[in-house]
Amino acid sequence: MDETIPLSLESLQAQIATQQSTFEMHQAMNVEVFYWWCTAIMLMIHAGFLAYEMGASRSKNALAAGVKNILALACIIPTFYLFGWWIYNAFPNGLIPIDASGALPWAASMGPDLSDMGTGIFWAAFALFGATTGSILSGAVIERIRVSAFLILTVFLGSAVWILAGAWGWHPDGWLLTELGYHDVGASGVVHAVAGFFTLGVLINLGARTGKFIDGVPQTIAPHNLPMTLIGLMMIIFGFFGFLGGCIIFNGGDLGWTTIYNTPTNLSAFAFNTLMGFSGGVIGCYIATRDPFWTMSGGLVGIISVAAGLDLYSPTLAFMIAVSMGFVAVGFAKFLEKRGIDDAVGAVSVHGFTGFVAVILVGVFAGGTPNVNGSPDITLYGQTLSAIIMALVGFIPGYGLSLLLKKFNSLRVPPEAEVLGIDEVEMLAKPYPEATTPASKESEVPNKLANTEPQGA
Amino acid sequence: MGTSITTWENATAYFTFADNPAALVFFALGSAGIVIGLIATIIQHENEAFKKIKK
Repeated sequence: MDETIPLSLESLQAQIATQQSTFEMHQAMNVEVFYWWCTAIMLMIHAGFLAYEMGASRSKNALAAGVKNILALACIIPTFYLFGWWIYNAFPNGLIPIDASGALPWAASMGPDLSDMGTGIFWAAFALFGATTGSILSGAVIERIRVSAFLILTVFLGSAVWILAGAWGWHPDGWLLTELGYHDVGASGVVHAVAGFFTLGVLINLGARTGKFIDGVPQTIAPHNLPMTLIGLMMIIFGFFGFLGGCIIFNGGDLGWTTIYNTPTNLSAFAFNTLMGFSGGVIGCYIATRDPFWTMSGGLVGIISVAAGLDLYSPTLAFMIAVSMGFVAVGFAKFLEKRGIDDAVGAVSVHGFTGFVAVILVGVFAGGTPNVNGSPDITLYGQTLSAIIMALVGFIPGYGLSLLLKKFNSLRVPPEAEVLGIDEVEMLAKPYPEATTPASKESEVPNKLANTEPQGA
Repeated sequence: MGTSITTWENATAYFTFADNPAALVFFALGSAGIVIGLIATIIQHENEAFKKIKK
Protein backbone atom coordinates (compact mmCIF):
# COMPACT_ATOMS: atom_id res chain seq x y z
CA MET A 1 0.00 0.00 0.00
CA ASP A 2 1.35 3.40 -1.02
CA GLU A 3 2.27 5.69 1.74
CA THR A 4 1.37 9.31 1.02
CA ILE A 5 3.74 11.86 2.44
CA PRO A 6 1.89 15.03 3.37
CA LEU A 7 3.25 18.11 1.58
CA SER A 8 3.88 21.20 3.58
CA LEU A 9 3.63 24.68 2.14
CA GLU A 10 7.39 25.07 2.56
CA SER A 11 8.16 21.89 0.65
CA LEU A 12 5.81 22.93 -2.18
CA GLN A 13 7.48 26.32 -2.37
CA ALA A 14 10.89 24.63 -2.48
CA GLN A 15 9.75 22.35 -5.31
CA ILE A 16 8.37 25.27 -7.28
CA ALA A 17 11.57 27.22 -6.75
CA THR A 18 13.63 24.26 -7.98
CA GLN A 19 11.41 23.82 -11.04
CA GLN A 20 11.57 27.55 -11.74
CA SER A 21 15.33 27.49 -11.53
CA THR A 22 15.51 24.47 -13.82
CA PHE A 23 13.11 26.09 -16.30
CA GLU A 24 15.10 29.33 -16.39
CA MET A 25 18.37 27.47 -16.92
CA HIS A 26 16.89 25.48 -19.79
CA GLN A 27 15.37 28.61 -21.27
CA ALA A 28 18.78 30.30 -21.19
CA MET A 29 20.31 27.20 -22.77
CA ASN A 30 17.64 27.23 -25.49
CA VAL A 31 18.56 30.81 -26.32
CA GLU A 32 22.17 29.78 -26.69
CA VAL A 33 21.26 26.74 -28.75
CA PHE A 34 19.12 28.81 -31.11
CA TYR A 35 21.79 31.40 -31.87
CA TRP A 36 24.54 28.77 -31.95
CA TRP A 37 22.81 27.07 -34.90
CA CYS A 38 21.90 30.36 -36.52
CA THR A 39 25.59 31.21 -36.49
CA ALA A 40 26.55 27.81 -37.85
CA ILE A 41 24.01 28.10 -40.67
CA MET A 42 25.27 31.61 -41.40
CA LEU A 43 28.67 30.14 -42.19
CA MET A 44 26.98 28.64 -45.22
CA ILE A 45 26.68 32.19 -46.55
CA HIS A 46 30.45 32.34 -46.64
CA ALA A 47 30.80 28.92 -48.20
CA GLY A 48 28.36 30.17 -50.82
CA PHE A 49 30.18 33.43 -51.43
CA LEU A 50 33.41 31.45 -51.73
CA ALA A 51 31.94 29.19 -54.39
CA TYR A 52 30.18 31.86 -56.38
CA GLU A 53 33.07 34.33 -56.40
CA MET A 54 35.51 31.66 -57.49
CA GLY A 55 33.08 30.54 -60.17
CA ALA A 56 32.44 34.12 -61.30
CA SER A 57 36.15 34.73 -61.81
CA ARG A 58 38.06 33.66 -64.85
CA SER A 59 40.12 30.56 -64.11
CA LYS A 60 43.31 32.62 -63.86
CA ASN A 61 41.90 34.46 -60.84
CA ALA A 62 39.78 31.77 -59.20
CA LEU A 63 42.08 31.05 -56.27
CA ALA A 64 42.78 34.71 -55.57
CA ALA A 65 39.05 35.35 -55.38
CA GLY A 66 38.66 32.45 -52.97
CA VAL A 67 41.65 33.18 -50.75
CA LYS A 68 40.69 36.80 -50.23
CA ASN A 69 37.23 35.65 -49.22
CA ILE A 70 38.62 33.18 -46.68
CA LEU A 71 41.03 35.79 -45.30
CA ALA A 72 38.19 38.29 -44.98
CA LEU A 73 36.36 35.94 -42.67
CA ALA A 74 39.54 35.27 -40.71
CA CYS A 75 40.28 38.99 -40.27
CA ILE A 76 36.76 40.25 -39.54
CA ILE A 77 36.18 37.78 -36.69
CA PRO A 78 39.10 38.94 -34.48
CA THR A 79 38.67 42.61 -35.35
CA PHE A 80 34.97 42.41 -34.60
CA TYR A 81 35.99 40.98 -31.23
CA LEU A 82 38.53 43.72 -30.67
CA PHE A 83 36.37 46.73 -31.57
CA GLY A 84 33.25 45.83 -33.57
CA TRP A 85 31.15 44.67 -30.65
CA TRP A 86 32.18 47.73 -28.66
CA ILE A 87 31.11 50.03 -31.51
CA TYR A 88 27.66 48.43 -31.55
CA ASN A 89 27.20 48.94 -27.82
CA ALA A 90 28.82 52.37 -27.61
CA PHE A 91 27.22 54.33 -30.45
CA PRO A 92 23.40 53.99 -30.37
CA ASN A 93 23.12 57.77 -29.90
CA GLY A 94 25.17 58.82 -32.91
CA LEU A 95 28.88 59.59 -32.94
CA ILE A 96 29.31 60.27 -29.22
CA PRO A 97 30.05 56.99 -27.44
CA ILE A 98 28.26 55.92 -24.28
CA ASP A 99 29.82 53.67 -21.66
CA ALA A 100 30.13 50.18 -23.11
CA SER A 101 33.10 48.91 -21.13
CA GLY A 102 31.47 45.49 -20.87
CA ALA A 103 31.98 45.07 -24.62
CA LEU A 104 35.69 45.84 -24.62
CA PRO A 105 37.98 42.88 -25.35
CA TRP A 106 39.30 42.84 -21.79
CA ALA A 107 35.86 42.73 -20.13
CA ALA A 108 34.82 39.71 -18.08
CA SER A 109 31.78 39.11 -20.29
CA MET A 110 33.96 38.84 -23.42
CA GLY A 111 35.10 35.32 -22.56
CA PRO A 112 33.93 32.14 -20.87
CA ASP A 113 31.69 33.42 -18.07
CA LEU A 114 29.25 31.19 -16.21
CA SER A 115 27.11 34.18 -15.26
CA ASP A 116 26.65 35.37 -18.86
CA MET A 117 24.86 33.10 -21.33
CA GLY A 118 24.16 35.78 -23.90
CA THR A 119 27.11 37.92 -24.84
CA GLY A 120 29.22 35.29 -26.56
CA ILE A 121 26.47 33.89 -28.69
CA PHE A 122 25.19 37.34 -29.74
CA TRP A 123 28.74 38.47 -30.46
CA ALA A 124 29.20 35.42 -32.69
CA ALA A 125 26.02 36.09 -34.66
CA PHE A 126 26.94 39.75 -35.14
CA ALA A 127 30.49 38.85 -36.16
CA LEU A 128 29.04 36.68 -38.90
CA PHE A 129 26.72 39.51 -40.00
CA GLY A 130 29.86 41.62 -40.28
CA ALA A 131 31.57 38.94 -42.33
CA THR A 132 28.59 38.94 -44.68
CA THR A 133 29.16 42.64 -45.40
CA GLY A 134 32.78 41.82 -46.22
CA SER A 135 31.69 39.11 -48.63
CA ILE A 136 29.27 41.48 -50.36
CA LEU A 137 32.23 43.72 -51.16
CA SER A 138 34.40 40.77 -52.07
CA GLY A 139 32.51 39.60 -55.13
CA ALA A 140 32.24 42.98 -56.82
CA VAL A 141 35.98 43.68 -56.83
CA ILE A 142 37.32 40.35 -58.07
CA GLU A 143 40.11 40.01 -60.61
CA ARG A 144 41.85 43.35 -60.07
CA ILE A 145 41.95 44.39 -56.42
CA ARG A 146 45.04 43.76 -54.32
CA VAL A 147 44.35 41.22 -51.58
CA SER A 148 45.95 43.54 -49.01
CA ALA A 149 43.77 46.48 -50.03
CA PHE A 150 40.70 44.30 -49.97
CA LEU A 151 41.48 43.12 -46.43
CA ILE A 152 41.94 46.69 -45.18
CA LEU A 153 38.64 47.66 -46.77
CA THR A 154 36.75 44.60 -45.62
CA VAL A 155 37.91 44.92 -42.00
CA PHE A 156 36.85 48.55 -42.04
CA LEU A 157 33.46 47.63 -43.47
CA GLY A 158 32.86 44.42 -41.54
CA SER A 159 34.10 45.48 -38.13
CA ALA A 160 33.41 49.22 -38.05
CA VAL A 161 31.21 50.78 -40.74
CA TRP A 162 28.21 48.48 -40.86
CA ILE A 163 28.11 48.01 -37.11
CA LEU A 164 27.99 51.77 -36.61
CA ALA A 165 24.90 51.73 -38.81
CA GLY A 166 23.75 48.76 -36.76
CA ALA A 167 24.13 50.74 -33.54
CA TRP A 168 21.99 53.49 -35.05
CA GLY A 169 19.30 51.40 -36.70
CA TRP A 170 19.48 47.87 -35.36
CA HIS A 171 19.68 48.44 -31.62
CA PRO A 172 16.80 48.82 -29.16
CA ASP A 173 18.11 52.29 -28.28
CA GLY A 174 19.44 53.30 -31.70
CA TRP A 175 18.68 56.91 -32.57
CA LEU A 176 17.14 56.04 -35.92
CA LEU A 177 14.53 54.01 -34.01
CA THR A 178 13.97 56.45 -31.20
CA GLU A 179 13.87 59.54 -33.46
CA LEU A 180 12.51 58.24 -36.77
CA GLY A 181 10.78 54.95 -35.91
CA TYR A 182 13.20 53.07 -38.20
CA HIS A 183 12.15 49.53 -39.05
CA ASP A 184 14.54 47.07 -40.69
CA VAL A 185 14.12 43.71 -38.99
CA GLY A 186 16.03 41.65 -41.54
CA ALA A 187 18.90 44.12 -42.03
CA SER A 188 18.09 45.24 -45.57
CA GLY A 189 19.53 48.63 -44.65
CA VAL A 190 22.12 48.07 -41.96
CA VAL A 191 23.81 45.14 -43.70
CA HIS A 192 22.89 45.13 -47.39
CA ALA A 193 22.47 48.81 -48.22
CA VAL A 194 25.52 49.81 -46.19
CA ALA A 195 27.73 47.12 -47.72
CA GLY A 196 26.38 47.70 -51.22
CA PHE A 197 27.02 51.44 -51.20
CA PHE A 198 30.41 50.95 -49.56
CA THR A 199 31.14 48.67 -52.51
CA LEU A 200 30.02 51.33 -54.97
CA GLY A 201 32.46 53.79 -53.41
CA VAL A 202 35.28 51.29 -53.80
CA LEU A 203 34.35 50.39 -57.39
CA ILE A 204 34.49 54.03 -58.47
CA ASN A 205 38.12 54.25 -57.39
CA LEU A 206 39.09 50.72 -58.35
CA GLY A 207 37.98 50.94 -61.97
CA ALA A 208 36.85 48.26 -64.37
CA ARG A 209 38.65 45.04 -65.19
CA THR A 210 40.90 45.34 -68.22
CA GLY A 211 38.80 44.46 -71.23
CA LYS A 212 35.45 45.08 -69.60
CA PHE A 213 34.86 48.16 -71.73
CA ILE A 214 36.19 48.27 -75.29
CA ASP A 215 35.67 51.65 -76.92
CA GLY A 216 33.21 52.30 -74.17
CA VAL A 217 31.09 49.25 -74.98
CA PRO A 218 30.64 46.82 -72.06
CA GLN A 219 31.89 43.33 -72.78
CA THR A 220 30.95 39.99 -71.29
CA ILE A 221 33.65 38.62 -69.01
CA ALA A 222 32.18 35.20 -68.60
CA PRO A 223 32.46 33.27 -65.32
CA HIS A 224 34.85 30.34 -65.70
CA ASN A 225 32.39 28.10 -63.84
CA LEU A 226 28.82 29.27 -64.02
CA PRO A 227 27.38 26.14 -62.40
CA MET A 228 29.56 26.76 -59.34
CA THR A 229 28.22 30.30 -59.08
CA LEU A 230 24.65 28.99 -59.11
CA ILE A 231 25.38 26.42 -56.41
CA GLY A 232 27.17 29.08 -54.39
CA LEU A 233 24.21 31.42 -54.60
CA MET A 234 21.86 28.67 -53.45
CA MET A 235 24.19 28.04 -50.50
CA ILE A 236 23.87 31.73 -49.63
CA ILE A 237 20.09 31.36 -49.68
CA PHE A 238 20.42 28.45 -47.25
CA GLY A 239 22.66 30.56 -45.03
CA PHE A 240 20.08 33.32 -45.05
CA PHE A 241 17.89 31.24 -42.79
CA GLY A 242 20.62 31.44 -40.15
CA PHE A 243 21.08 35.13 -40.87
CA LEU A 244 17.39 35.95 -40.56
CA GLY A 245 16.98 33.66 -37.55
CA GLY A 246 19.75 35.67 -35.93
CA CYS A 247 17.74 38.83 -36.59
CA ILE A 248 14.91 37.80 -34.26
CA ILE A 249 15.15 38.04 -30.48
CA PHE A 250 14.59 34.89 -28.42
CA ASN A 251 13.44 36.35 -25.11
CA GLY A 252 13.35 34.72 -21.73
CA GLY A 253 10.25 34.79 -19.56
CA ASP A 254 6.82 34.80 -21.19
CA LEU A 255 7.61 37.48 -23.76
CA GLY A 256 8.32 35.11 -26.64
CA TRP A 257 9.86 36.22 -29.92
CA THR A 258 10.32 39.91 -30.65
CA THR A 259 12.03 41.92 -33.33
CA ILE A 260 15.24 43.69 -32.47
CA TYR A 261 13.00 46.71 -31.81
CA ASN A 262 11.10 44.80 -29.09
CA THR A 263 7.91 44.61 -31.16
CA PRO A 264 6.18 41.21 -31.11
CA THR A 265 6.73 38.76 -33.96
CA ASN A 266 7.54 35.10 -34.50
CA LEU A 267 9.47 32.76 -36.76
CA SER A 268 6.30 31.91 -38.67
CA ALA A 269 6.12 35.48 -39.93
CA PHE A 270 9.74 35.29 -41.06
CA ALA A 271 9.15 31.91 -42.72
CA PHE A 272 6.19 33.10 -44.79
CA ASN A 273 7.89 36.15 -46.18
CA THR A 274 11.43 34.84 -46.57
CA LEU A 275 10.25 32.05 -48.86
CA MET A 276 7.74 34.19 -50.74
CA GLY A 277 10.44 36.83 -51.22
CA PHE A 278 12.90 34.26 -52.53
CA SER A 279 10.41 32.94 -55.07
CA GLY A 280 9.39 36.38 -56.25
CA GLY A 281 12.95 37.53 -56.73
CA VAL A 282 13.87 34.49 -58.81
CA ILE A 283 10.83 34.94 -61.03
CA GLY A 284 11.39 38.66 -61.48
CA CYS A 285 15.06 38.35 -62.39
CA TYR A 286 14.42 35.39 -64.68
CA ILE A 287 11.77 37.21 -66.66
CA ALA A 288 13.92 40.33 -66.78
CA THR A 289 17.08 38.60 -68.06
CA ARG A 290 16.65 34.86 -68.87
CA ASP A 291 20.19 34.76 -67.54
CA PRO A 292 21.24 31.88 -65.20
CA PHE A 293 23.41 34.02 -62.93
CA TRP A 294 20.77 36.71 -62.54
CA THR A 295 18.01 34.15 -62.07
CA MET A 296 19.80 32.74 -59.05
CA SER A 297 20.82 36.20 -57.84
CA GLY A 298 17.12 36.97 -57.95
CA GLY A 299 16.67 34.80 -54.88
CA LEU A 300 18.90 37.20 -52.99
CA VAL A 301 17.18 40.22 -54.47
CA GLY A 302 13.81 38.84 -53.41
CA ILE A 303 14.76 38.09 -49.81
CA ILE A 304 16.62 41.38 -49.34
CA SER A 305 13.73 43.34 -50.86
CA VAL A 306 11.33 42.11 -48.16
CA ALA A 307 13.77 41.56 -45.28
CA ALA A 308 13.20 44.99 -43.73
CA GLY A 309 9.50 44.22 -43.30
CA LEU A 310 9.55 40.45 -42.87
CA ASP A 311 7.43 40.73 -39.75
CA LEU A 312 4.81 43.03 -41.27
CA TYR A 313 4.08 42.09 -44.87
CA SER A 314 1.35 39.83 -46.12
CA PRO A 315 3.08 36.98 -47.97
CA THR A 316 1.47 37.81 -51.31
CA LEU A 317 2.57 41.43 -50.98
CA ALA A 318 6.08 40.21 -50.18
CA PHE A 319 5.96 38.05 -53.30
CA MET A 320 4.89 40.95 -55.49
CA ILE A 321 7.48 43.28 -54.00
CA ALA A 322 10.16 40.69 -54.70
CA VAL A 323 9.04 40.12 -58.30
CA SER A 324 9.03 43.86 -58.92
CA MET A 325 12.42 44.33 -57.30
CA GLY A 326 13.80 41.59 -59.53
CA PHE A 327 13.09 43.83 -62.51
CA VAL A 328 14.23 47.00 -60.81
CA ALA A 329 17.49 45.49 -59.57
CA VAL A 330 18.38 44.34 -63.07
CA GLY A 331 17.58 47.81 -64.35
CA PHE A 332 19.85 49.37 -61.76
CA ALA A 333 22.67 47.00 -62.71
CA LYS A 334 22.31 48.16 -66.33
CA PHE A 335 22.29 51.76 -65.17
CA LEU A 336 25.60 51.26 -63.33
CA GLU A 337 27.18 49.49 -66.28
CA LYS A 338 26.15 52.35 -68.54
CA ARG A 339 28.19 54.60 -66.31
CA GLY A 340 31.30 52.48 -66.58
CA ILE A 341 30.98 50.73 -63.20
CA ASP A 342 32.27 47.16 -63.42
CA ASP A 343 30.50 45.29 -60.65
CA ALA A 344 31.50 41.70 -61.41
CA VAL A 345 28.61 40.10 -59.54
CA GLY A 346 26.02 42.85 -59.38
CA ALA A 347 26.54 43.36 -55.64
CA VAL A 348 25.74 47.06 -55.64
CA SER A 349 22.39 46.40 -57.25
CA VAL A 350 21.51 43.13 -55.50
CA HIS A 351 22.52 44.27 -52.03
CA GLY A 352 22.94 48.04 -52.00
CA PHE A 353 20.13 49.31 -54.19
CA THR A 354 17.69 46.56 -53.22
CA GLY A 355 18.41 47.05 -49.52
CA PHE A 356 17.96 50.80 -49.93
CA VAL A 357 14.59 50.44 -51.64
CA ALA A 358 13.51 47.72 -49.19
CA VAL A 359 13.85 50.13 -46.27
CA ILE A 360 11.72 52.74 -48.06
CA LEU A 361 9.07 50.16 -48.99
CA VAL A 362 8.39 49.49 -45.32
CA GLY A 363 7.36 53.12 -45.07
CA VAL A 364 5.16 52.77 -48.15
CA PHE A 365 3.34 49.58 -47.15
CA ALA A 366 3.58 49.52 -43.37
CA GLY A 367 3.59 53.23 -42.51
CA GLY A 368 1.66 53.93 -39.33
CA THR A 369 2.63 50.68 -37.65
CA PRO A 370 3.33 51.50 -34.00
CA ASN A 371 6.61 50.97 -32.23
CA VAL A 372 6.99 50.37 -28.49
CA ASN A 373 8.78 52.06 -25.60
CA GLY A 374 7.92 55.53 -26.85
CA SER A 375 9.56 55.31 -30.27
CA PRO A 376 7.61 57.00 -33.09
CA ASP A 377 5.47 55.05 -35.54
CA ILE A 378 6.92 53.80 -38.79
CA THR A 379 6.62 56.51 -41.46
CA LEU A 380 7.57 56.89 -45.10
CA TYR A 381 9.57 59.98 -44.16
CA GLY A 382 11.48 58.15 -41.42
CA GLN A 383 12.20 55.16 -43.63
CA THR A 384 13.30 57.29 -46.59
CA LEU A 385 15.59 59.46 -44.51
CA SER A 386 17.02 56.39 -42.79
CA ALA A 387 17.66 54.68 -46.14
CA ILE A 388 19.59 57.73 -47.33
CA ILE A 389 21.60 57.70 -44.09
CA MET A 390 22.39 54.00 -44.57
CA ALA A 391 23.57 54.61 -48.13
CA LEU A 392 25.78 57.50 -47.05
CA VAL A 393 27.19 55.62 -44.05
CA GLY A 394 28.30 52.98 -46.53
CA PHE A 395 29.34 55.09 -49.49
CA ILE A 396 31.41 57.82 -47.83
CA PRO A 397 33.85 55.54 -45.94
CA GLY A 398 34.12 53.15 -48.89
CA TYR A 399 34.90 55.93 -51.32
CA GLY A 400 37.23 57.74 -48.92
CA LEU A 401 39.35 54.79 -47.84
CA SER A 402 39.64 53.34 -51.34
CA LEU A 403 40.64 56.77 -52.67
CA LEU A 404 43.37 56.91 -50.03
CA LEU A 405 44.63 53.45 -51.02
CA LYS A 406 44.55 54.50 -54.67
CA LYS A 407 46.64 57.59 -53.91
CA PHE A 408 49.29 55.30 -52.43
CA ASN A 409 49.06 53.03 -55.48
CA SER A 410 47.95 50.22 -53.16
CA LEU A 411 44.44 49.52 -54.42
CA ARG A 412 44.82 47.66 -57.68
CA VAL A 413 47.16 45.00 -59.02
CA PRO A 414 49.51 46.11 -61.84
CA PRO A 415 48.25 45.61 -65.42
CA GLU A 416 50.80 42.84 -65.99
CA ALA A 417 49.41 40.84 -63.07
CA GLU A 418 45.90 41.35 -64.32
CA VAL A 419 46.84 39.96 -67.73
CA LEU A 420 48.74 36.98 -66.35
CA GLY A 421 46.22 36.30 -63.62
CA ILE A 422 46.54 36.95 -59.91
CA ASP A 423 46.72 33.24 -59.12
CA GLU A 424 49.95 32.76 -61.01
CA VAL A 425 51.52 36.00 -59.84
CA GLU A 426 50.47 36.21 -56.22
CA MET A 427 48.91 32.92 -55.19
CA LEU A 428 51.68 30.91 -56.84
CA ALA A 429 49.14 28.22 -57.62
CA LYS A 430 46.81 27.15 -60.39
CA PRO A 431 43.22 26.13 -59.75
CA TYR A 432 43.21 23.56 -62.53
CA PRO A 433 46.84 22.59 -63.16
CA GLU A 434 45.96 19.81 -65.60
CA ALA A 435 43.60 21.94 -67.66
CA THR A 436 44.53 24.01 -70.65
CA THR A 437 41.49 26.27 -70.71
CA PRO A 438 42.63 29.72 -71.78
CA ALA A 439 41.38 32.73 -69.91
CA SER A 440 39.65 35.01 -72.35
CA LYS A 441 38.19 38.42 -71.82
CA GLU A 442 35.57 37.99 -74.48
CA SER A 443 32.89 35.40 -74.80
CA GLU A 444 30.66 34.10 -77.53
CA VAL A 445 27.79 34.26 -75.09
CA PRO A 446 25.89 37.51 -75.58
CA ASN A 447 25.88 39.92 -72.68
CA LYS A 448 22.23 40.25 -71.79
CA LEU A 449 22.88 43.31 -69.69
CA ALA A 450 25.11 44.97 -72.25
CA ASN A 451 24.23 48.38 -73.52
CA THR A 452 24.34 49.01 -77.20
CA GLU A 453 25.80 52.46 -77.05
CA PRO A 454 29.46 53.10 -76.22
CA GLN A 455 29.69 53.86 -72.51
CA GLY A 456 32.08 54.13 -69.63
CA ALA A 457 35.82 54.22 -69.39
CA MET B 1 49.58 30.08 -14.22
CA GLY B 2 46.90 32.06 -15.99
CA THR B 3 43.85 30.55 -14.35
CA SER B 4 41.57 33.00 -12.62
CA ILE B 5 39.74 30.58 -10.32
CA THR B 6 40.64 28.20 -7.54
CA THR B 7 37.18 26.64 -7.11
CA TRP B 8 34.05 26.10 -9.23
CA GLU B 9 31.88 27.30 -6.34
CA ASN B 10 30.17 30.54 -7.45
CA ALA B 11 32.55 30.80 -10.42
CA THR B 12 31.67 33.49 -12.98
CA ALA B 13 34.28 34.65 -15.53
CA TYR B 14 36.70 31.78 -15.18
CA PHE B 15 38.83 32.08 -18.29
CA THR B 16 42.57 32.55 -18.11
CA PHE B 17 43.63 36.00 -16.93
CA ALA B 18 39.98 37.07 -16.42
CA ASP B 19 41.10 38.72 -13.20
CA ASN B 20 44.06 40.44 -14.80
CA PRO B 21 42.95 43.26 -17.13
CA ALA B 22 46.54 44.26 -17.90
CA ALA B 23 47.21 40.81 -19.31
CA LEU B 24 43.98 40.92 -21.34
CA VAL B 25 44.90 44.32 -22.76
CA PHE B 26 48.29 42.90 -23.69
CA PHE B 27 46.69 39.94 -25.46
CA ALA B 28 44.23 42.26 -27.23
CA LEU B 29 47.07 44.40 -28.51
CA GLY B 30 48.92 41.26 -29.56
CA SER B 31 45.86 40.03 -31.47
CA ALA B 32 45.52 43.40 -33.20
CA GLY B 33 49.21 43.23 -34.05
CA ILE B 34 48.76 39.82 -35.66
CA VAL B 35 46.00 41.10 -37.98
CA ILE B 36 48.04 44.18 -38.87
CA GLY B 37 51.12 41.99 -39.33
CA LEU B 38 49.20 39.66 -41.62
CA ILE B 39 48.20 42.52 -43.89
CA ALA B 40 51.74 43.90 -43.77
CA THR B 41 53.18 40.57 -44.89
CA ILE B 42 50.64 40.36 -47.70
CA ILE B 43 51.64 43.86 -48.87
CA GLN B 44 55.30 42.79 -48.80
CA HIS B 45 54.53 39.59 -50.69
CA GLU B 46 52.51 41.46 -53.28
CA ASN B 47 55.20 44.05 -53.82
CA GLU B 48 57.78 41.33 -54.40
CA ALA B 49 55.47 39.31 -56.65
CA PHE B 50 54.50 42.31 -58.76
CA LYS B 51 58.10 43.47 -59.02
CA LYS B 52 59.07 40.17 -60.65
CA ILE B 53 56.62 40.59 -63.51
CA LYS B 54 57.06 44.31 -64.13
CA LYS B 55 58.15 44.98 -67.66
